[in-house]
Amino acid sequence: MVANQEQEVDTASPAATAVDPMRLASRWRSPEEWNEVAKELEAEPAPSELNTVNSSGLFAVVSTDKMSVRYLGTNHHGHDVGVVQADRPAPTHRAVYYFEMRVKNAGEKGQTSIGFTCEGFKMRRQPGWESNSCGYHGDDGYLYRGHGKGESFGPKFTSGDIIGAGINYVSQEFFFTKNGSPVGGFPKDIKGPLYPTIAVHSQDEEVTVNFGKEQFCFDIEDYILKEKMRQQSASDKLYLQPDISHWVVRSYLLHYGYQDTLNSFDMASETDPPANHQNGFGEPPEMYGISHRKILRQLIMSGDIDSTFKRLGEWYPQVIKDEKSVICFLLHSQRFIEYIRAEECEDAVKYARANLASFLTHKAFDGAHGNFWPFRFSMPFEIVALLAYDKPAETCIGYLLDSPQREFVADAVNATVLSTNPNMKDPESCLYSCLEKLLRQLTVCSFERRAFNNDQGDTFLLHKEMQKCERSRRS
Amino acid sequence: MFLSRIVLRDLDSIDSPTSMASSKKMVTRDVWERKLRDVKIRKEDMNRLVMNFLVTEGYVDAADKFRVESGTQPDIDLATITDRMEVKRAVQSGNVQEAIEKINDLNPTILDTNPQLYFHLQQQKLIELIRAGKINEALEFAQEELAPRGEENQAFLEEIEKTVALLVFEDVKNCPYGELLDVSQRLKTASEVNAAILTSQSHEKDPKLPSLLKMLIWTQNQLDEKAAYPRINNFSTAALEDPSI
Repeated sequence: MVANQEQEVDTASPAATAVDPMRLASRWRSPEEWNEVAKELEAEPAPSELNTVNSSGLFAVVSTDKMSVRYLGTNHHGHDVGVVQADRPAPTHRAVYYFEMRVKNAGEKGQTSIGFTCEGFKMRRQPGWESNSCGYHGDDGYLYRGHGKGESFGPKFTSGDIIGAGINYVSQEFFFTKNGSPVGGFPKDIKGPLYPTIAVHSQDEEVTVNFGKEQFCFDIEDYILKEKMRQQSASDKLYLQPDISHWVVRSYLLHYGYQDTLNSFDMASETDPPANHQNGFGEPPEMYGISHRKILRQLIMSGDIDSTFKRLGEWYPQVIKDEKSVICFLLHSQRFIEYIRAEECEDAVKYARANLASFLTHKAFDGAHGNFWPFRFSMPFEIVALLAYDKPAETCIGYLLDSPQREFVADAVNATVLSTNPNMKDPESCLYSCLEKLLRQLTVCSFERRAFNNDQGDTFLLHKEMQKCERSRRS
Repeated sequence: MFLSRIVLRDLDSIDSPTSMASSKKMVTRDVWERKLRDVKIRKEDMNRLVMNFLVTEGYVDAADKFRVESGTQPDIDLATITDRMEVKRAVQSGNVQEAIEKINDLNPTILDTNPQLYFHLQQQKLIELIRAGKINEALEFAQEELAPRGEENQAFLEEIEKTVALLVFEDVKNCPYGELLDVSQRLKTASEVNAAILTSQSHEKDPKLPSLLKMLIWTQNQLDEKAAYPRINNFSTAALEDPSI
């Protein structure tokens, strides 16, 4: 059914087909680009220096590097505090935010302090003395949160001490540290953006901040790790169907036609105990065309597109019947790319003229059309642009020559072949394995959850997770 | 660039008014499916996740085939899996002495730095002697090898007492500690050995996939408190189920 539908639909619109292999194109990126994407998501502006515009200039002076503040003159009352906020509020898209200050000089009275304040905070008051702020004060070691009366909290601090202040978005707590040791935490009951804030309040007092450019005195990485482990141990206690992981892996191998792996996996499962996987789960995943799909993948991964066309013509002629279909375009593009890879430019040009030119003028492929177009220009142009370079591998479109590109085409062919299965009920299942559906659900759920949590906290991204794995092994 | 767009769109949908009388926000299937489509997942990362499972669970042949078929590099030398699985299998089939020797061949510091693991292996050895009906040998082993270890550690002593109690019962089925003779005890010891070897190879002792699946259960439960949305309840089909109103 699905297969027939695919032939009947108006192929001028690739997105309209039941199974649009272009939806897999988001994978069509180089590893570097992927790292960028992950980084960009993280790249929430964070405080980097002190705000010199919105500071109580009468009582304190900020150093020219905007990292230190010193009290001017002598203090007389509670409204001549030298308060300075960071240039930006603390970022929220993470598990924990943290910064430190070093008391360079405790001055006459040692009334330096550190904490967080809201936007529009009164710049002549100590953090913690006014509502929507909190602060840890050096002269008494008290914690102030929202009014002038403090509460017993930790040790006093003075010249030479390094004091840290943090927000734990997971547990929704503020916490302070002194010289690398935790002092204590308390519930975060302030909403809205919070600025890292420091204050000096008597003659000669001087403090220097560290927003993370220098190594922190407190082991914040370890703190975050422990926080995450606490969260994980909560989820590890949950019940998981026995052998579901085994099932998910098996269906992944089936989906992509990794048949040799599948056979070894099944063989080992028969002899090893934890593999009674047949009961309790849904229908077994699709075996449909697995041997064919395996061979097609091998051919594409080895760059043999001519044979791929030939085999498809024998086994699944309906897939390549329409010369203007997305799948034909992808295969022709790949053939062209293989000529470039082999540095056979003349053949590449000949092939492009015969097989790609028509796509360049085809409305369906003009970049602006698709929702899933991750390209700066329309794709056909980008591919043909490979010809323009002497060393295309070193250019911004060099990723087209890499094996992830072959894999994308192989996955697209795999999805299209799966869609010819008359028993396939759910077109989504042609594109996504069970594993991928679960990972997508996890990603969306974690982003939604953060949105409900005042946009605070960490989120799940598989790429980040796998990078973390690798990093922890290297260290 | 694309991912950050997801975040913004997520916020939109939450701010938008809902028709629900309850305090929970309603996310329709359409909206949810669009969000699912917009997620960017890299094939290579999924391959690595699968490879991590095969390697950690000890599917050495499958891991090797998967390396060829998917082009994914295993995060550990595959030869070490074979060794690890041999040790595991030795424990599972009751050949504890063989397992101990193999562990020492692999890395002599594993048992030196894991007194508890070493004790559990010796305890397993005693259990196997009792199972085989080698009463004299079992007694001798208990007195010479195990008893001194009980002196150094109270928890060990209790374990020894339980194990030796097996000898008193002619019909071990009636023994209150009969479960020590169960296959599950072998599996427990075997998985302890497995974890210790992986740790010694600076590899995580558990595969990543099950903990991600648990994370999905946890995150869905958390989100339930705030929103009604299409859930996945059956992980083997990964089918979305419409939110109950």
